[in-house]
Amino acid sequence: MATLNDKEFKERLAALSSAQQRQVAARFIHRAFALSGDLRVKAAVEAALRADVSETELAGIAQAANAARVESYTQCGKETDWNVQAGHFVAKAAADCVRPIAEGQSLAWDAAMLIRVARTCGAASGDTTDHKEAEAQYAILDDFLSK
Amino acid sequence: MSEMQFLTWVRGTGLNIAITIFLLGVIFRLFEIYSLGRKKDLSEPRSVAGASGLNTVFRRSLPPADMLKNSPVTYIGGYIFHIGLAIIVFAFAPHIKLFESLLGFSWPGLPSQMVDLVSVLTIGAMLAVLLDRIVKPVKRYLSTFQDWFTWALTFLPVLTGWMAVQHLLLPYTTMLALHILSVELLLVFLPFTKLFHAFTVFGSRWFNGAVNGHKGVAV
Amino acid sequence: MSASLEKGVRVLKEVIDAPIASYFNSCVHCGLCAEACLFYTETKDPKYTPIHKLEPMRRLYEQEYTVIGRLKKLIGLSKAVTDAELAEWQELVYNSCTLCGRCSVVCPVGNDIVYMVRKFREGMSASGNAPDGLKGASNRTITIGSPMGIKLPAVKAQMRHVEEDYGLPIPLDVEGAEYMVMLSSMEIINFPEYLAAIAKIMHQAGKTWTLCSTSFEATNAGMQIGNSDLARVIVSRIVDGAEKLKVKTVISPECGHAFTALRWEGPNLVGRPFGFKVKHIIEVLDEFKEQGLLKTEGFETDRLTFHDPCQLARRGGVIKQQRNLMNMVAKNFVEMPDAGFMNWCCGGGGGASAIEEGEELRLEAFRKKKSQLDAVKPDRLVTACANCRIVLEEGLEHYKMNLPVVGLTEMIAEHIPDPVVPEAKGD
Repeated sequence: MATLNDKEFKERLAALSSAQQRQVAARFIHRAFALSGDLRVKAAVEAALRADVSETELAGIAQAANAARVESYTQCGKETDWNVQAGHFVAKAAADCVRPIAEGQSLAWDAAMLIRVARTCGAASGDTTDHKEAEAQYAILDDFLSK
Repeated sequence: MSEMQFLTWVRGTGLNIAITIFLLGVIFRLFEIYSLGRKKDLSEPRSVAGASGLNTVFRRSLPPADMLKNSPVTYIGGYIFHIGLAIIVFAFAPHIKLFESLLGFSWPGLPSQMVDLVSVLTIGAMLAVLLDRIVKPVKRYLSTFQDWFTWALTFLPVLTGWMAVQHLLLPYTTMLALHILSVELLLVFLPFTKLFHAFTVFGSRWFNGAVNGHKGVAV
Repeated sequence: MSASLEKGVRVLKEVIDAPIASYFNSCVHCGLCAEACLFYTETKDPKYTPIHKLEPMRRLYEQEYTVIGRLKKLIGLSKAVTDAELAEWQELVYNSCTLCGRCSVVCPVGNDIVYMVRKFREGMSASGNAPDGLKGASNRTITIGSPMGIKLPAVKAQMRHVEEDYGLPIPLDVEGAEYMVMLSSMEIINFPEYLAAIAKIMHQAGKTWTLCSTSFEATNAGMQIGNSDLARVIVSRIVDGAEKLKVKTVISPECGHAFTALRWEGPNLVGRPFGFKVKHIIEVLDEFKEQGLLKTEGFETDRLTFHDPCQLARRGGVIKQQRNLMNMVAKNFVEMPDAGFMNWCCGGGGGASAIEEGEELRLEAFRKKKSQLDAVKPDRLVTACANCRIVLEEGLEHYKMNLPVVGLTEMIAEHIPDPVVPEAKGD
């Protein structure tokens, strides 16, 4: 029963447990990691991918991931480098993954959106490739659910 | 020149010169400043009660928010000596007599012991703000010759006046003459130094209040 | 006198008016303005005293517009302003001033110091003494149309993202729409969810709105660097767009200085009153709430506090509205000390965050904001200015404070049920 549209996608993600959402989100981010390249983001993603990761481990990585996120903002008045900005959204998604998850937080959906925004940065700088990110995300979710 | 001649001079010619320079100076300086004009504000105003130029003229006399604890000497010392000066100048019988001779009318004064007490408090407050200006890094940093000079110009009339009434240090005639001379110096320099804030404070507060009142912020 | 200095002096002479003359003549060197300025309070360096930031302008005023000043200059008691002096003052006029306006509120003689700094920047930029970061932003504004280099394709990409991924249509160039929505570069780049939030809110309110392809950029670099000509160009673009589309109201985004530039300086820059209203998005949201057009569900339960952007609250007169909105969606909203119109600046406004060499100073000044936050210990910090958000985050990160920052408009939108629209994405 493949995911066909965002409505189904969002519903299925919301039905996952927090721990599962973290893993799925990590997979979404992993697919787009090349847009960031930051080692702190890499560490966050790799930790979040694991089903057996502990809260303590995550806490240790969270500070660095947050720093990566804050550092990659484009500051007011600076010339925009859309490639760097794409990395910012990847970092944000990764930082969100390794923070404590609040009750009812739609972590996986938010991460999916952030990755799509990261791809949008490419479009903003003129890259006309259609990465079919949404479809790829559906496939990632379906794959996760089938295991 | 004898003591009496000196006193006669400062009471007569000296005072005439000083008041003339003072009045002409004030008028000229007000013109010099306010004739520059300002452009009309074409943005749509907000109308909020209590937010206007006039409101700020009065409200700005009070310390905003937490400022009093940041600089108590500036505020409290400032209030005491400004109010003190006003009381001494306008509520002391001999001064009221002088105004009567100049203006043609008078008003009731305060008992001289009260003015005496106010003078002591004023002197104390002025010494406190002087000390604060020396001790506080920001005030010291900002201060120029003019700050010390105008302090002396304002302090000496109060000190010499009080000393004259108390018959201290010098013969009364001399002390009185020095007192009047110090007042004349104050009058002559007032329009041309920071002491002119006595007149421009109204315009400044008004402009500030109007600009912010236009946006609906009561400052 | 070098050509650039001559230009700067000429510009300064033009901007000096009766208020400025009154202010300079009223200053009694009491130093209270320093106590209101976070750059002084957190560094204790007296050179950051606000009125001192204006010293070259004061001397110029005295020498050009007063008899005593002219005499002093003639006999050598007052030195002329030099290139070197203006260069030295660059740090004071730009890096250590965010145009926050607290000094203007505390001066006992009523001096509007921020007004004077804004004018002084005109002379500083005309003489070439503005920071590189701001010069870059200004150049990009002239050549590309946006200080951060945002062109229409970028905006369209974000529009497409919102339309496809959130299922909300974004109108473009719709004539006769009631509202024209402006964006700031910061939102387009860093906070694309702002556009989605607007779309959701407008949809619920049932109001017509549009973006404008020829003027989507609200950020006004001219205002920050102090170049009225440039500020005028940017505002004119917006006015042309609004008039062409015949909208009733232009909405200024969650960007402090964009609001000041458009709402308060705009008509004066273009020389005539606007034929349309200008409102900050927070004002609009509050109006919708009053009219029953903004309906939210649910509450945030964590401990929230609000950072009032200087240009919105103290300098813009929008103070109660954000509180009304917070109370709509927050059960546990606490106020910081000095919240509201006396709030302390984030430290990055007025172009300051674009000045790389000023970063260390900004982070030092951030201790004031930190002290406000330490006093209330919130779980999250809410604000309504994209630049404040990033400056706050940088400060929080530097001081290792674990405190998420969120935008008010987005938070409100999160409490609006998802609109029922036809299938968002299908293959």
